[in-house]
Amino acid sequence: MKNFTHFYSLTPEWQHQLAEEIGGELIDNKIIVLPKTLGHGHSFFTQITPGISAFFMDFVLSTPIKINRLKSEDELYIFHFDQSDQANLIKIDNIDYKIGSSINLGLAIINNNIESSFEPAVGQRTLALRLLVDKKLLNEFVENHPSEEFTNRKITIEKKAPYYYDNIDSNSILLIQSLKSKSVFDSSFEPYLKGTSLKLLGNFLNRYSNSAAVKNESTEIEIEAIAKTKTYLLDHLYNPFPSVPFLSKMAGMSPSKYKMLFKKEFHNTPNNLFIKEKMLLAYKLLQSGDYSTLTEVIYELNYTKLSYFCTKYYDLFHRKPSQDFIKKIKKKQVASQFSVPYIQRENDM
Amino acid sequence: MKTIKHSYGADLDWVAPFAKQLEGKVNGNFIVVPDTLFKGSRYVLDCGDGIVAYYVDVTNNRDVNLIQKNISNDFIGIYYNLSEGEVKYSSSNFKHNVGRWQYNLLVIDSSLETNYFIKAGSKSYVLCIFIKKSMMASYAQKNNITLRDIDKITDPSKNTIIRFDRMSSESFHLIDDLRKLKVGGPVFDLNLTGTVHLLLSNFFKKMSSVRIIIQTVNESDLANIIAIQMFLINTIEDHFPTIKLMAHNANMSESKFKDLFKKITGKTPNTFFIENKLLKAKELLEGKQLTITQVSDRLNFTNNSYFASKFKEHFGIAPKIFVKQL
Repeated sequence: MKNFTHFYSLTPEWQHQLAEEIGGELIDNKIIVLPKTLGHGHSFFTQITPGISAFFMDFVLSTPIKINRLKSEDELYIFHFDQSDQANLIKIDNIDYKIGSSINLGLAIINNNIESSFEPAVGQRTLALRLLVDKKLLNEFVENHPSEEFTNRKITIEKKAPYYYDNIDSNSILLIQSLKSKSVFDSSFEPYLKGTSLKLLGNFLNRYSNSAAVKNESTEIEIEAIAKTKTYLLDHLYNPFPSVPFLSKMAGMSPSKYKMLFKKEFHNTPNNLFIKEKMLLAYKLLQSGDYSTLTEVIYELNYTKLSYFCTKYYDLFHRKPSQDFIKKIKKKQVASQFSVPYIQRENDM
Repeated sequence: MKTIKHSYGADLDWVAPFAKQLEGKVNGNFIVVPDTLFKGSRYVLDCGDGIVAYYVDVTNNRDVNLIQKNISNDFIGIYYNLSEGEVKYSSSNFKHNVGRWQYNLLVIDSSLETNYFIKAGSKSYVLCIFIKKSMMASYAQKNNITLRDIDKITDPSKNTIIRFDRMSSESFHLIDDLRKLKVGGPVFDLNLTGTVHLLLSNFFKKMSSVRIIIQTVNESDLANIIAIQMFLINTIEDHFPTIKLMAHNANMSESKFKDLFKKITGKTPNTFFIENKLLKAKELLEGKQLTITQVSDRLNFTNNSYFASKFKEHFGIAPKIFVKQL
């Protein structure tokens, strides 16, 4: 394996050293053509705005190489977007991270103060875009961002870990894929790369500002269907539990998907929610004073065993049903008959 | 009718006087105008390298005549105009309707005095790019682009440049994407600058490639082709209508229709249709309200797998992966 070392800076000067080391040709201070001994392909470097530069790599290697990045003075974050056909390795602090290909995560953010190395796979197309972003600039973006929560979260991520590892969002993947079909020698490539890079950065910031809000992933139709089954459950509290297969059929989903979505929506399983609602109804019935025994109440609610009902009731309210029970007895009616004249008498006085 | 005299420029000097003319004021990058005149946002951003972007997304509440008379004539204005409603653009020697379904890409030299007439009730959606001529020249030289008109563009004493054109569908979707974002803030700035660069990339590519100049096409033929394009976009969810039908609607022979369509849009009718269909599919998937099957059914694909393979062919990733990583 051949080893090369280089460092990054926002300006294109650093390329001379790398080009010399790998024996490649440097064209126009932008393009490094890979020598035939290593493989074929090229890289493209451009400065987009003060504080943001892009380094685009597109090559197929024939011999394994390892590119070691030395730390440099510049305070930079390196955004590494990888859309290679095969997994590549990034080594940070002696730990290997696989990146690229459809299976692995595609985005790594590395701090320029920490050394890392990059080992592209051999014999497969390597397609990676690195954005070098000034730390101050990124922090400014973050601080100027309207949502405060975002600011806090973002900074904690950056400070804790020297690197950060994530999926690339779909729109960004499309952007990088579109670079694949372009030639770096084309005249319109440079503005295209600039535009793409800025949009990638925009997508990245956008994603992190919205990530708090991204929890509602189920579609409206699904949520409606789930809500429908819940209403069904609430309307049939006097019946036994209708079974998950039945409910899932009603919602038009597989039982497992139904259970998952239900739990996500209502933070409870269908059965537990049903029992809870049933117990609340039981409490009402117990308090109503229309029943003379507990057994009557539980039969009304379609329970067959009093002891089972009592356990469930106790689980929810931490009281025995008998404690809440108001009996319907004739004595009570008699008592009330007595009490009426008593009150009247009191009023007379 | 309200008449406003103003100037543009490849720097930010024109912003404050323009805002004053519109009875509004400058607030950061925004030009805030009272709702009685326009409702919506106007946003100016300096993209560096002698490029200024001016983004307008407003509903016009009054008839307005904007007279553009520039103080300096060292820049070119590239206007991507997707307005809906009656908008006329005129000067001493031309007069055209502009908007999404008319000419929607204008390249106008700053030395020209122009009238931009907006009818009340129309919706303006315009992205203007003002770019310094010197910047264009150096850009072209640097990249060895042989522009046929480059001398004309760069030398202000010589001929002026006016070009009325239709933007490519790639450019259209870039601008359409921009509309989905909230205006203002760093994310928008990045996207706006990014879009401007991508548009310029497309623009230069177009300029450097030999392509029919749209102004040379017969006026009524052009209108017919654009009408067919509009028809295709409006029926994007259905099956592809036959060439025969479209040619008939456009009052042309099939071969002439195919030929002209390709010349004007740069694509065959079928490619144009499929590409827009897939972009629509992408939009629907982004909405997260429909499953892949629902999208494929809704857009009248014969089956899922055909849809998935087309999607992958066009975007490079399968719809499932696309949905997963949104």
